[in-house]
Amino acid sequence: MTSSDSGQWRRISPFAIVFFVGKTVRNVVRGYVQLVAAFGALAVLIRGTPYAALLIPLALLVVIAVAVLRYWSFRFRIEEDRIHIRQGVLEKTSVELPFDRIQGINVERRPVDRLLGLVTVSLDTAGSETTEGELPCVKRNLAEELRARIGAGKRGRHVGQREAVPGVVIAHRGAVSERGRPVHRPEVAHGTARGARAGIQDTAGERTAGDRSPARVLLRLSTGDMFRIGLGRDNILLATMLIAAAWRRPRELPYRIAETFGFSEDFVRPALETAEATLARTDALGETTFTGGIMLTALAVVLALGVGTAFLRYFGFVLWRKGTAYRSRGGLLTQNEVVVETTKIQQLTLSQDLLLRWFRRFRLRVHPAADADASEHHDVPRVLEVPLLDAPLARELRASVFGEEDDGPILFPKSDEFRRVSAHYIQAHALRLGFVPAVAGAVLLVPVTGLTKVWVSFAGLWCAVWIVGGGLTALQRWRRLGYVYGKDGMASRGGFVGRKVDAFLYRKIQSVALKRSPLERRNGLATLEVELASDTINVPYIDHGVARRLRDHILYTVESSRRRWH
Amino acid sequence: MFINPEVPLESLPSADNLDWHALHPSFVRRLQLGALIRVLVIGAIGTVAYLLMQGGDSEAMGRFADWLLSYALIAFGVFAASILIWPVIAVPRRGYVVREKDILYKTGVLWRSVKAVPFNRVQHTKIDSGLLDRRFGLANLSVFPAGAGGHKIRGLGTDTAERLRVYVSERIEAEAIEPADDERSPPPDPRTEAGAAPDNGPVTDAG
Repeated sequence: MTSSDSGQWRRISPFAIVFFVGKTVRNVVRGYVQLVAAFGALAVLIRGTPYAALLIPLALLVVIAVAVLRYWSFRFRIEEDRIHIRQGVLEKTSVELPFDRIQGINVERRPVDRLLGLVTVSLDTAGSETTEGELPCVKRNLAEELRARIGAGKRGRHVGQREAVPGVVIAHRGAVSERGRPVHRPEVAHGTARGARAGIQDTAGERTAGDRSPARVLLRLSTGDMFRIGLGRDNILLATMLIAAAWRRPRELPYRIAETFGFSEDFVRPALETAEATLARTDALGETTFTGGIMLTALAVVLALGVGTAFLRYFGFVLWRKGTAYRSRGGLLTQNEVVVETTKIQQLTLSQDLLLRWFRRFRLRVHPAADADASEHHDVPRVLEVPLLDAPLARELRASVFGEEDDGPILFPKSDEFRRVSAHYIQAHALRLGFVPAVAGAVLLVPVTGLTKVWVSFAGLWCAVWIVGGGLTALQRWRRLGYVYGKDGMASRGGFVGRKVDAFLYRKIQSVALKRSPLERRNGLATLEVELASDTINVPYIDHGVARRLRDHILYTVESSRRRWH
Repeated sequence: MFINPEVPLESLPSADNLDWHALHPSFVRRLQLGALIRVLVIGAIGTVAYLLMQGGDSEAMGRFADWLLSYALIAFGVFAASILIWPVIAVPRRGYVVREKDILYKTGVLWRSVKAVPFNRVQHTKIDSGLLDRRFGLANLSVFPAGAGGHKIRGLGTDTAERLRVYVSERIEAEAIEPADDERSPPPDPRTEAGAAPDNGPVTDAG
């Protein structure tokens, strides 16, 4: 652990080869599905020939060779105000990331990483076309060092402020450059071995001697909370309902499951049949019990899957605040650590699914500016998600994120300040969701049945289902929709089963559009669409005058604001 | 409820009654040529498909192809006419305005939209010009704020696009945020010493 000199080209740990093997395989699978298919076809073609057996080790060898080369060519250098990453074998890339452009540092610890005390650091940048930086398999204290430097870069203007991170003691030296800018060269010295482990232990209260910046734990999720998270998701509820509705013959379910998992039917069927027979012999009640039992089992399996996912993603979840940043860590096997600087937060999204409402809990997503090429790295979380929190904590987080600029961005979906959008929304949405498919379906049915009585009954039923379904869906969506605006920011509410509120400040907005459909024009309405660095938010069917004033106010706020949006 | 103590609502600069600039006059022709090429390609594919279905061994398939032909021709005719005529209707309804602090772009015939991008949020700009665009002396200007994919103004004259790009770049420079009093200090947290209010020193842009 002696790599704190700046300006030196450094290598990552050789264990990164394993990481690159995984990455290469993933890249091939993702980018070259056709290629894989072609190789598969080739493999089928040459099956049976003695050369076929050579193909697999050959492919493996190539992958490993590529990974070794990628490791070999990977260098990075931490400079005073930027990090420089060079990589690539055939196509060399060199990325320079100025620290003040970095939105956040995310740390991921895979099971192998955890054994070796290594982490994978990914640096989020906003906006530009540069690819984000990822440092695979580096030592844990490097992440802390980077974090400290980025923190120092951010606060470089504020003379004399100190921040120390666990294990890394930083002394700021306030030199003044020629241009009059106070320059801080953080000198990094590593603390005790215990500090270097830099676990949550430090931040959770047991402070080491060198740690001068205590962190405050805001939230710790218990095992019971995992169950709440797992059970509280609407999609699980919907999946359960779908399974229950779609399975017309529940008695077949156990056999199907057994088949899927590869148990031979001969093995399962006698056992189940015996059980079934025993129950069915008694009376009709027994039969119902059996069917119900199977349904309940299916339900339990779905719920268990949800809870299992919650355990995998959030086990031991801790949210804490250190300096100006929020950090979270959680996960059973792969531990994810997300750091978001308060000033870089673009948007808060508070949602409450149906069951969470029963638990009186919410889910909060804290969005920093998104990566331009986020789609390529969707496996790395860049949004800080608090899966379960209560109203007081949500209120506290909101207050600290928005500060004094709290007129407008309301978080709680039940707040009285939310205004409904125009009821014309129901009409438009029902038309799109129900009427159009109904008519299209009925017309398409004509060539099949001809204009007969059969068509009339079929088309009638089809139209009724679609129109009623579409109307009810539109009505429910409209009931959830709402918006609220104030001097500093606004919030938009939506959802279908649950509720969701996106709250943001005007001055963080990137662009604003006013859209009007024919129906909106006829009724003096408009849709306001604002684009943030994290997301695009729509407020449909509001009064045209309000939308116009809001648009002008937003433009005025953005254009006259001298504060940074990130 | 909408209160703004510093600027009375009426005096906010409005983005409604603006003097919209039209796109380059030959943009209609360019879109029509593009549409014509698309029509020809689809027509050729359709013809090949018809000939293949006719030339096959199956007689039923041949009859089906004949039955399909009339419907396909009608659909194709409507499609071709509409995409050839559409630019004439749509292009005059597009337009842009460049103001001192932002750029506005409007599009849409039925679904209308007016988009505004403030210069102090633009990260970079781009001009691109395809094969067909160059044939008509046209270029497209894109401005990219952070986050989503950027906004493209299609169908500008090459020199207009370049002049606009230069202007936008100048405006971006001019509107660049000086991080003097930008950084909001986190509210001091009574339970930690870490959130202490930072001391704003004299600062210039970090470059």
